[in-house]
Amino acid sequence: MIAQKKYTEALEVITRTLPLPGVLGRICPHPCEDVCRRKDVDEPISICTLKRFTADQVDIDDLPLTEITPRDEKVAIIGAGPAGLTAAYFLAQDGFKVTIFEALPVAGGMLRVGIPDYRLPPDVLEKEIKWITRLGVEIKFNTALGRDITIDSLMDNGYKSVYLAVGCHANMKLNIPNEDTEGVIPGVKFLRDTALGDIKEVKGNVAIVGGGDVAIDAARSALRLGADNVSILYRRTRTEMPARAEEIEDALEEGVDIQFLMAPVEVMDKDGKAVGLKCIKMKLGAPDKSGRRRPVPVEGSEFVVDTDVIIPAIGQRTDTAFLKGSTGVDLDRWNNIDVDPVSFETTRNGVFAGGDAQTGAWIAIGAVAAGREAAISISRYLDGSDLKEGRKPIEIPQKNFNPIEKDIPKVKRAKMPRISMEARKTSFAEVERGLSDAAAVVEAKKCLNCMVCCECLECVKVCKAEALTLKTHSQKDETIEIDVGSIILTPGGEPYDPARHDTYSYTKHPNVVTSMEFERILSASGPYGGHMVRPSDHKEPKKIAWLQCIGSRDVHVGANGYCSGVCCTYAIKEAMLAKEHSSEDLDAAVFYIDIRTYGKDFERYYNRAKDELGVRFIKSKVTHIDPDEQTGMQMIRYVDETGRRVEEEFDMVVLSVGLTASMQTTAQAKKWGIDLDHYNFAGSSSFDPVQTSRPGIYACGIFQAPKDIPSSVIDSSAAAGVAGSRLAESRWTLTKTREIPDETDVRGDPPRIGVFVCRCGTNIAGIVDVPEVAEFAKDLPGVAHVEENMFSCSQDTQDKMTEVIKAHRLNRVVVAACTPKTHEPLFQETLINAGINKYLFEMANIRNQCSWVHKDDPAKATEKSKDILRMAVAKAMLQEPLSESTMEINPSVLVVGGGVSGMAAAKNLSEQGYQVFLVEKTDALGGQARHLHETWRGEDIQEYLTSLTAAVQSDDNITVFLNAEITHVDGFVGNFKTTVSCNGEDNVLEHGVTIIASGASEFKPDGYLYPEDARVVTGLELQQRFIDKDPSIEQIDTAVFVQCVGSRIPDRPYCSKVCCTQSIKSALKLKEINPQMDVFILYRDLRPYGLREDLYRRARTEGIAFIRYDSGKDLDVATEDGELKVSFTDRVLGRMMEIRPELLVLASAIVPDSKNPLAQMYKIPQNADGFFAEAHVKLRPMDFATDGVFVCGLAHAPKPIDESIVQGQAAASRAVTVLAKGVFQTSGIVAETNPAHCSSCGVCVSECPYSAPSFIEEGPFTGKTRINPVLCKGCGLCVASCRSGAIHLKGFDNDQIFAQIFALNKTG
Amino acid sequence: MSNWEPKIVSFLCNWCSYGAADLAGVSRMEYPPNIRVIRIPCTGRMSPKFILAAFRQGADGVWVSG
Repeated sequence: MIAQKKYTEALEVITRTLPLPGVLGRICPHPCEDVCRRKDVDEPISICTLKRFTADQVDIDDLPLTEITPRDEKVAIIGAGPAGLTAAYFLAQDGFKVTIFEALPVAGGMLRVGIPDYRLPPDVLEKEIKWITRLGVEIKFNTALGRDITIDSLMDNGYKSVYLAVGCHANMKLNIPNEDTEGVIPGVKFLRDTALGDIKEVKGNVAIVGGGDVAIDAARSALRLGADNVSILYRRTRTEMPARAEEIEDALEEGVDIQFLMAPVEVMDKDGKAVGLKCIKMKLGAPDKSGRRRPVPVEGSEFVVDTDVIIPAIGQRTDTAFLKGSTGVDLDRWNNIDVDPVSFETTRNGVFAGGDAQTGAWIAIGAVAAGREAAISISRYLDGSDLKEGRKPIEIPQKNFNPIEKDIPKVKRAKMPRISMEARKTSFAEVERGLSDAAAVVEAKKCLNCMVCCECLECVKVCKAEALTLKTHSQKDETIEIDVGSIILTPGGEPYDPARHDTYSYTKHPNVVTSMEFERILSASGPYGGHMVRPSDHKEPKKIAWLQCIGSRDVHVGANGYCSGVCCTYAIKEAMLAKEHSSEDLDAAVFYIDIRTYGKDFERYYNRAKDELGVRFIKSKVTHIDPDEQTGMQMIRYVDETGRRVEEEFDMVVLSVGLTASMQTTAQAKKWGIDLDHYNFAGSSSFDPVQTSRPGIYACGIFQAPKDIPSSVIDSSAAAGVAGSRLAESRWTLTKTREIPDETDVRGDPPRIGVFVCRCGTNIAGIVDVPEVAEFAKDLPGVAHVEENMFSCSQDTQDKMTEVIKAHRLNRVVVAACTPKTHEPLFQETLINAGINKYLFEMANIRNQCSWVHKDDPAKATEKSKDILRMAVAKAMLQEPLSESTMEINPSVLVVGGGVSGMAAAKNLSEQGYQVFLVEKTDALGGQARHLHETWRGEDIQEYLTSLTAAVQSDDNITVFLNAEITHVDGFVGNFKTTVSCNGEDNVLEHGVTIIASGASEFKPDGYLYPEDARVVTGLELQQRFIDKDPSIEQIDTAVFVQCVGSRIPDRPYCSKVCCTQSIKSALKLKEINPQMDVFILYRDLRPYGLREDLYRRARTEGIAFIRYDSGKDLDVATEDGELKVSFTDRVLGRMMEIRPELLVLASAIVPDSKNPLAQMYKIPQNADGFFAEAHVKLRPMDFATDGVFVCGLAHAPKPIDESIVQGQAAASRAVTVLAKGVFQTSGIVAETNPAHCSSCGVCVSECPYSAPSFIEEGPFTGKTRINPVLCKGCGLCVASCRSGAIHLKGFDNDQIFAQIFALNKTG
Repeated sequence: MSNWEPKIVSFLCNWCSYGAADLAGVSRMEYPPNIRVIRIPCTGRMSPKFILAAFRQGADGVWVSG
C-alpha cells in the first residue's frame, strides 16, 4: 500500500491492530524486522520506519471513525501507558465506557516520561492519545491506585472490570554507600523530571551507571541539558550491553563517553553533595544464567571518577505497594503481577493486568500486544463468554510462505536523514526526520509478499456486489467429506517446459516462444491485442518457424519418449492462422520428423496448409537455434532429410511443446492409490480404457494419456457412462424437487411491463447513464414499473424482482443488462418463481453490445441503450405465454452394429438398466475385431472378444439380431420405430434412442499384385494368419510392409490412423516368430501416435528397417523369376531401391460405406469420405444434430480397438442423458402451422433439417402440414420458406420482429 | 468531410453472429455506436420484408449475418 502511495489506506490497516502508529514507528526496537524474510535476500525491510512514515503522511484524525454500538458496562484502566491506551482503544471500539486512571499529570506512561523528546516528540504522542480519546475514552490524571483509588472502590463505583497497566516506574537501587546523597538521581526519575520540565539544566560532569536503554537515554538527555562531560559506566563490555546498538552508536556520535568493565563501589560526598564515584575495575568471568559472562571485580583496582551528578540506571521494577493488603491480586516471584498467560486475568476475577507491570520492564510493542489481548479478555468477560476459547499465547502463526524468487536485485535499506550534530547536542528536537516519499516507496516495494494476501481488505471495500465481505475474506480451507460411489479423475497435464534445454534458446531470446505463448499472441485478448508481432520489437514477423516434437519423441534427460499426439495439428493450425493474421505474405515453415495428422479430417487440414496456403513442411532434425541480439532474428541450423546441413533465418521461432503429466497430479495419484505408467499417465488397459488400477476410480483426458480435445471429450463421456453403470441403482436418489408456483394466466390482460435496468456495477453504469435510461423507460408504452439494479443477476436482486413482479402485477418483464445468451435462463427462472410464463420476457443487451464496445462515447452509448430498450419493450408487448411440450421416452436403445464399439455401448446401457436391441448384419458379433490378433500393448483381442460376446449374448437386457438388416425407420427421439428384417422376418422395434455403430471395413487394394499373388496380403489378412498360428510364416526370410495403401491419396484424402501401429506390431510379431527375418516398413510419415511411440522405438532397436518412400513417385510390385520385386524411390538416398520379399503386406485403408442407407433413414449426415459427421467435431463427438441418435466406432472415423470401445461407452453415456430423464421437454420457441392457410406445397417438409414438419394423413386437414414441436428447433427456416404465410414462429413471430424494426426510428 | 453517419440495422443469428457480437464486448473491442441489433433465431428466419421494413424506417444499411 505504501508502495502504491495509498497512505490513508495503509494507516487504516495499521490502526486495525496498533493504536499508536506514529509512536511505535519511532521508538519500537522492531523485533518484527528480525523475522522479515527479506533478510534472506539482503536486509530486512524497515518495517518500523515505514510505519512512522505512514503515520507522518496522514492526519490520524482524518481516518474514518469506526462505528460503535455503545454498551453500558464501565471498565477502569489503571495507567495511561501503551498497554492501558491500547486496551482502552479496543474496548472503546467494542462500545464499553472506558476510564483511564493515571497517576501522573500526563498520559503516555513511559512513552511520555521515559523516552526523551528527541526520540519521540510529545506532540506526536499527544495527537495519537487524543485520537484514542475521541472514541469516548476518558483519562483522569493525578489519580493513583492505592493513593486515590483502590480496586474495591472502583468496583463499588460500578466498574465491572479493572485493567492494571501501571507500568514499571520504580528504580532498582545500586545498594552502595551514600546512595541517597544529593546529586544522585535515579535514571527513571531523571528522565521523568526532564520530560515533565522539572529538570531544565544539568551542569558539570555526569556519570551514569548502567548499560540499558535508560542509561543511554539519560546520557543523551544530560548532554542536551548542558552537562560538560557525560560518561556511562558499565560493568561488562560493549558486546553485553543490552541497549540497542544504534542507540549506543548515536550516543557515542554525540560525544558520550562509555567506560566498560567498571562498577560503582561508593558515592563520594562533600557537604552532603556528591562529588565523585568510587569505582572498581572488573573482568569477565564464567557465563551466568543469562549466558553473558559474569563480571568479577579486580581486587585493589579501585579509583574515583570525579562527577557532579550520578545517575544510576541499572533497572526498574514494578511499584506494587498498592497491591498490599487484601486486594486478591497476587504477585509472581519477580514481584510482578501474576496473570494467566492466555487471558491476562489476575488471580482476582474480573481484574486483568498487562504491560511492564506484569512482564517487568520490556518494550512498548509488547505492552501494546498485551493491551490488545486484555481488551479481548475483558470484552469476553463482560459478555460472559469463555476467556480462553480458541486463543493461544501470542506467537507468529504463519508458516507456508510464498517462495522467494531467485535473482531478486539487492537494495540497500533506507536510512532516515538526521538533524545536525549541533542541534542534536543542544536541543531536544527529534533527531531522525523520517523517510522521503521516494525512499519509502522503494523500501516498501522490497516486500516479498510472503503471505500472498497482505490482509489490507481493500478488496472488501471495493466489492459492491458484497461477494467479498469480512466474513468471506476470512474463509479458510475446509475439509469436506462426501460419500461417493465412484471418482472420475480429470486433472489434465501440463505443457512441456522447453527451458530445460538450452538448444532452443528459449528464455534466452524473446522471439523464441512456445506454441501456447504463440496462441496468446494471436488472441484478441492476448498481450498485443491480437496483432501478430514479435515480442522483441513489436514488429510484424515476415518468417516464422515451428519446431515440432519439443520435449516429445525424445528419450534424452528431461524430455519424454512418447508422441504428444496434438502438436502436429495445432502447429498447422497456428501456421494457417498466422498466415491469416499477416498483412503481407507470411513465410511459415514447420520443421518436423513425421507429420502426424491422424485425427478425423486432420489430413485434409494438412493438405490445405501445404497445397493451398503454402506452409512449408521441412522434414529435418534441428540441431540448434542461434539468436542474433542485434536483429532479433533466429538462425535455425538443421540437417535435412538427405543429410545436408542447412541454415535459415527466421523472425520468430515457435516451439511446439508437448504434453506432460503434472508433478502435482503424479504425487496425488499416490494418495488416490492408483498406479501410473512409466510416463506417469493413468491409462493401462486397451479393453477398459478409462478404468484406473483401482476399481471405481476412472481417469480421462490427458491424465489418462496425451490426447486432443475430441478424444478427451469421448473419454469423459465414457467415464461418466462407466461410473453410471456402477451407480445405476442410486440414480435420482440425491435429487431434490423444486416447488414451482402456479402460473397466472395473463392472456387478454393489457400489458404491464416491468423494466429492470442493470448497472452491472460499473460495467454498464460506468459508461451508460443508467438513471437516464431508467427515466426514459417510464414513458414507454405498456411500461408499468421501472427499477434500477446494481447487479440484476445477484440472488438477492432476483428475490426482490420476484416480489416486485407480484406486487406490481407485472405480466411482461424486460431486463436491460447483459446478453440473453448467458442470462436469459436465469431471469426466466425469476419469472417462473413469480408465477408468470417464462416466455413473457425480453432482454435488452446494453452491456456486451453497448457499454463494453462504446466506452469512449458515453453519450451515444446512452442513446443506443435507450433504442435497444425501446425495441425490447416493443417486442415484449407482443409476447404471449408459450407452452413446452413433454413426451415420454421409451427407455430402450437400438444399437446398429455388433462390433466392439456397438457391444461396448450395449453392455454399458444394459448395466445402466436399459433395454437394448443389438442389430448385426453378419452372422456373428465382433466386427473387424474378429480379424485382429493383439493390441499394440500386446493384449489378446480374441480372448477379450470371446468374453465380451458371451457377456452380451447372455445379458437379459440385450436382444441380439444377427443377419439383420434395417429396412425402415419411423419416429424421432423418444419414440423411434425401426423395422429390422432378420432371417426373412420383419420385427418392428420401438426404442427411445439409436446408436449407430455400423463400422467400416478394410479397403481391398486393386494393385500391387493383390489379390492374384498369394504372397501379397493386407494388414488384416496377416493378423488373421497370426490368429490362425500359420506355420508358413516361419519360413519367410524377407517381409515388406507398404504403408498408406489406399489412404492419404487424392481419392481418399484421410489417414486411416491404425495402419502404422498395426504394421509395426505385426513386424515385431514376424521378428518374434523368425528373428532372422529381414523386415522393411515403407512409409510416408510414420504415425504411431501417443504412447505407441514406445512400440516404434522398440521396433527400431529390434532391427526393423523403416524406409521413407516417395509416394508421389513410383512404387511398383512385380514378379521376376518367380520372386516378388518391390521397387520404390528412397527419399533419403533419392534413388530407386528394390527389395525381393516373400511376404508383402499392404497396410490398407479403412473405408466406410459411403452410401450407408442409415444416413437417409435416421437423417444423419456423412462427410465427404463417407464417415458419419458428428454434431460438433470437438465438443459433441458422439452426437448428431438430429436428437436421439449417436455414433461410435469406425462408423465415426478410423480408430483402433481401445478408442472404439471408449467411444462405444461414450455413446451409451450420451444416450443415457436422454433416457434417464424419462420425458423429453421441448422449447416453447417452435414453429406452428395454421393448416387453414397451408397450401400443401411441401417446401417446409423438404427444407427442415430436423424433419419436424410432416403432412397430416387424416382428418379435415389431410395433406396440409403440421410441425412436431418435439423435433422443431425454432430456427424459423420453414417460416421464411412458407409461401402462404401459414407458419408462425412463437417467440420470434413476424409482428414481434416488425415491432422491433418499427421501434428503431422513434425518438424520445 | 461531411458529418453524416449511416444508420445500420443488423439481423444477427442467435447462435453465431449474435454470440460473436457478445464476444466482441467481452474482448472489449470497439466499434461505432450507430448500429442496432435484432436477434433472430437463425438467418433462415430472415424475410425480405424485414429488410425492406428496416430501410423504410430510415436504415442506411442492413446487415444480415449468420
